[in-house]
Amino acid sequence: MHKTHKTRHGNLIFAVLLVFGLALIIGRSSSYVNLIKNLIYYIAYPNIATANNIFRSTVHFADNIKSMVFLYQENLAYEQKNQELEDKIRNYDIISKEYENLSKLLNLEKIKNTQSVFARIIAREPWEWYQWLIIDKGKNNNLKKELPVLVFNKKENTLCAMGKILEVYKSSSKVVLITNSIYEFPVEIKDKGINCLSEGFNSNLVKITYIPSDADVKPGDEIVVSELSSVFPKDVPVGVIKEVMEESYVDFKTATAEVYFESNVIYDVVILVPQENMRK
Amino acid sequence: MKKIIAYFLLYIIFCMLQFFFGKYLNICGVFPNLILILVVYLGLTRGVVSAEIMGFLFGITWDVFSTDVFGIRTVIFTIIGYFTGKINKNFDKDRTLVQIVIVVLTNVVYWFIFSFIYWVIPASESSSPSFITTKGMFKILATVIMAPIVFSILDRLTLLSRGDT
Repeated sequence: MHKTHKTRHGNLIFAVLLVFGLALIIGRSSSYVNLIKNLIYYIAYPNIATANNIFRSTVHFADNIKSMVFLYQENLAYEQKNQELEDKIRNYDIISKEYENLSKLLNLEKIKNTQSVFARIIAREPWEWYQWLIIDKGKNNNLKKELPVLVFNKKENTLCAMGKILEVYKSSSKVVLITNSIYEFPVEIKDKGINCLSEGFNSNLVKITYIPSDADVKPGDEIVVSELSSVFPKDVPVGVIKEVMEESYVDFKTATAEVYFESNVIYDVVILVPQENMRK
Repeated sequence: MKKIIAYFLLYIIFCMLQFFFGKYLNICGVFPNLILILVVYLGLTRGVVSAEIMGFLFGITWDVFSTDVFGIRTVIFTIIGYFTGKINKNFDKDRTLVQIVIVVLTNVVYWFIFSFIYWVIPASESSSPSFITTKGMFKILATVIMAPIVFSILDRLTLLSRGDT
């Protein structure tokens, strides 16, 4: 009895719904049907819009997960690198102690250790681009005149020569660049042991002078700081030779070299400060 | 009350799957007709009333979002819900083959009524039906392939909610 009642109930609902559906088809252009259509659209549309937002945030979520995985891998690599550096520091401490003892015993003059001070360039005049710049560190950071200023060269992945500190103020310093025409310093041709002199001439090139006329120097040779330099540490990269000018009637030849520090945009520099300066 | 909430949630989830995710997760425009599978499932497991009412609601919602003749899917899903509800005692609905056969048959009915209504109504009035193309065939195939998976998921959900709904 109950089953028959349920079946009848189902049939009745089916008939009503079918009639309603057919009425929608027949009266699809009428204002009433359009009203129903719009009503359902405005009820259902927010759900679709919400789904859209969820989907978009899911995409961001996936990106975040991906970057988290990358970060994790990067972190692992850094941890490994950190371990290697810790080992090196430990070895360095042992060697340093040994060195202290030996230098005391033998009355040797100690090598000065340096510490890197990072500074931001705060001024670089366009009309004196290859001559000077101002950095945001000065006496407050134990900087003094004649300290070497280096810059990170992304191409070579190393620090390269940029200039030296000329004037020091309380919280800023003026740096004279190696490309300045007043700046000269001893350099050498890398792996060839040829000593020569670098002279700036207010462009991105430096003039390499006093190269012996019989020296085997050609474009592409790298210029590094010579051991004779009183400012820069030895073997700091300077630039690469672009052109060699040979004149048969003189004892020396001249070359032009492109400096490394101009190969990328510079915002920060590194000043090598002797550790005795830092203690003050 | 709990039964109504469960049906409402099913309605929301399947609307989103069909109308929204279908846009992004389709393969060359082919996406299974999940609503058809749900209506068939309800017809086989819950009987005539649930299937035809849910079929009607899904159909009218789909009609609102489509450019086809308004009311066409309302009628089709109501009919499919009613007839699958009617035959639910005659088959072992837990068998995958039965599920596939019923979904194939309902698909045929779906496209048959679709063609019939388009035959009665001049084609210029609305967008042309896509079922006569190869894509239509692939849609049927995708629906048939997805049917046992959706049936299995819905079965698990039913087991989980048994006693609540």
